[in-house]
Amino acid sequence: MAEIQLRNISKRWGSFVGVNNFDLTIADKEFLVLLGPSGCGKTTTMRMIAGLEDTTEGDILIGGKRVNDLEPKDRDIAMVFQSYALYPNMNVYENIRFPLKVRGTDPSTHKERVLQAAERVELLDFLDRKPAELSGGQRQRVALARAIVRKPKVFLMDEPLSNLDAKLRVSTRAQIKNLSHDLAATTIYVTHDQIEAMTLADRVVVMKKGVVQQVGSPTEIYDTPANTFVASFIGNPAMNLVDGVIEGGVFKAQNSVIPGLDAPDGPVTLGFRAEDANVVESGGEINAPIYTMELLGDATMVSVRIGGALVAVKADKNYRAEIGDQVSLHVHTDHCHLFDATTGERMGP
Amino acid sequence: MASKAQQAPAYLRIVTVAFVVLWLLVAAFPFLWTLWGSFKVELDFFSKADWMNALTGPRTLAEKGSPFTTDGYYGAWVQEEFWRSAINTTLVCFFVVCTSLTIGTLGGYALSRSGYRYTFWLLITALIFRAMPPITLVSGYLLPFFEWNLWGHLATTIIVLVAINQPFTLWMLYSFFQKIPKELDESAKVDGCTQFKAFRHVIIPVMWPGVITTGLFSFLLAYNDFAVTAMLLSKENQTMVPKIASFLGTTQTEGNVMFAVAAVVSATVPLFILVMFFQRQIVSGLTQGAVKG
Repeated sequence: MAEIQLRNISKRWGSFVGVNNFDLTIADKEFLVLLGPSGCGKTTTMRMIAGLEDTTEGDILIGGKRVNDLEPKDRDIAMVFQSYALYPNMNVYENIRFPLKVRGTDPSTHKERVLQAAERVELLDFLDRKPAELSGGQRQRVALARAIVRKPKVFLMDEPLSNLDAKLRVSTRAQIKNLSHDLAATTIYVTHDQIEAMTLADRVVVMKKGVVQQVGSPTEIYDTPANTFVASFIGNPAMNLVDGVIEGGVFKAQNSVIPGLDAPDGPVTLGFRAEDANVVESGGEINAPIYTMELLGDATMVSVRIGGALVAVKADKNYRAEIGDQVSLHVHTDHCHLFDATTGERMGP
Repeated sequence: MASKAQQAPAYLRIVTVAFVVLWLLVAAFPFLWTLWGSFKVELDFFSKADWMNALTGPRTLAEKGSPFTTDGYYGAWVQEEFWRSAINTTLVCFFVVCTSLTIGTLGGYALSRSGYRYTFWLLITALIFRAMPPITLVSGYLLPFFEWNLWGHLATTIIVLVAINQPFTLWMLYSFFQKIPKELDESAKVDGCTQFKAFRHVIIPVMWPGVITTGLFSFLLAYNDFAVTAMLLSKENQTMVPKIASFLGTTQTEGNVMFAVAAVVSATVPLFILVMFFQRQIVSGLTQGAVKG
């Protein structure tokens, strides 16, 4: 059992707040992703769990035991660093074996366990190489193997894919997901890439400036973002956000009149996703000149400008038009989200 | 492999090669001259009549029956017991290097991993002490050393040399440690090391080129030191450099200058061997820092 409890943990450096009042219980065997832009405190949170950073306030419990005062080595965790942090003087075999060696586990089991871990990440052919002789993807797999060789209670991964090229990232992502499923350990994964978060996570924590914005399953976060920050951070493209006013259930903004919205009168921010609208011949709720067109292969992305905001809509892949052409867009009002114009918080369900 | 476009014109290549050869000759000349001259008698090496005598050695031939003589070496090593100085130098260098490297690696590591502001001021203070000429410190030491009967011993000199060396070793090792990413320590700690184990098993193996380079520089400072050793050592405890100076100081007796010349050559040989032996580590230590990739 390795349930992790974070009880109102905070991290401050002088007057600078790194993490503010983070309170969460991470279930045993859960894959939790901490997501946010750089400087949002996600890595700091992970480092506090690892014991590489002290908490200013709050308690961290792993498996029901308070670990605040324990050294990293005594927390039964394994960590994959963004820079991999392989030991440059040791070959791959020795790198993977290192956690077993320094913890004094029975030496007769080392070889078998190292080979097993290396096989899991397809490194058997490289055991004699030094890290400097490996490619980025291979180094990353050594770091993974080193983490899994000991079968710890908790895996911590700090942006493990960010130094890989796009293609390798996809395959390694799949590998990590598969590994974590097989090993059934509690995993905390830090990333700024929302696609990684969506694909890997059981639950996602979206953070901004040290404060948790929303905690939920990828679907919840995608379908019901708690505020405009989450809405603009999740999804590709991000949710369209248009500032306007509600007058008698009708949303009004430049070039846009969207009826059928159940909300009190006043200024609001309207949000909808690119796939929740489509291009129509005429009579759509938004009528504006095309700002840009992007061919994605499976679809065509049509963008218009409303006020300052860029609004992207997914059209059929065969849709063609010129920049500047007038276009009419139909918005599916049942998939619209309304946010408070000043706080950005979600209104209604 | 070089394509035509990359090839320098022939005259340019000749000029550059000629320049390098010339530079090498100029740089090596004093040593080669001394080496050659050390096998002559004083009247040849310091001949007023004709400088060519130092090369041909007519006096040496006339006095010793051969153009080369090892009298200088015999006089220095056997007659004047230069071997005692060699042993003293060995002792001084060994202990200075060991002590300053031990303190330097531990201190440099601690400073490089410390998040506190004062580390900067500690290092700046160290730099100031390093910038001072050693002689300014030595004159201050003399009186208390006489009073407390510490003057003249090797141990005292070793401590003073370590004190003078330490800022430099600390700085140099600090900058080597700075180049080792902190993730390496952290990874080791997560993998099951204490801070000290991480230092010993992970950081030090990566640091070897840096430690060897620093050790060599520390060695050279101790080996070549004159100010401290000349002022603080009694005659029987003298190391090589002040001993050579004392050979030179007695010009009234013929031959002693040749002892000095022979001793100088003897003192240079170990340095050559050392640099040759460690050249790979030194070059990698000086150029790329300790780790790459």
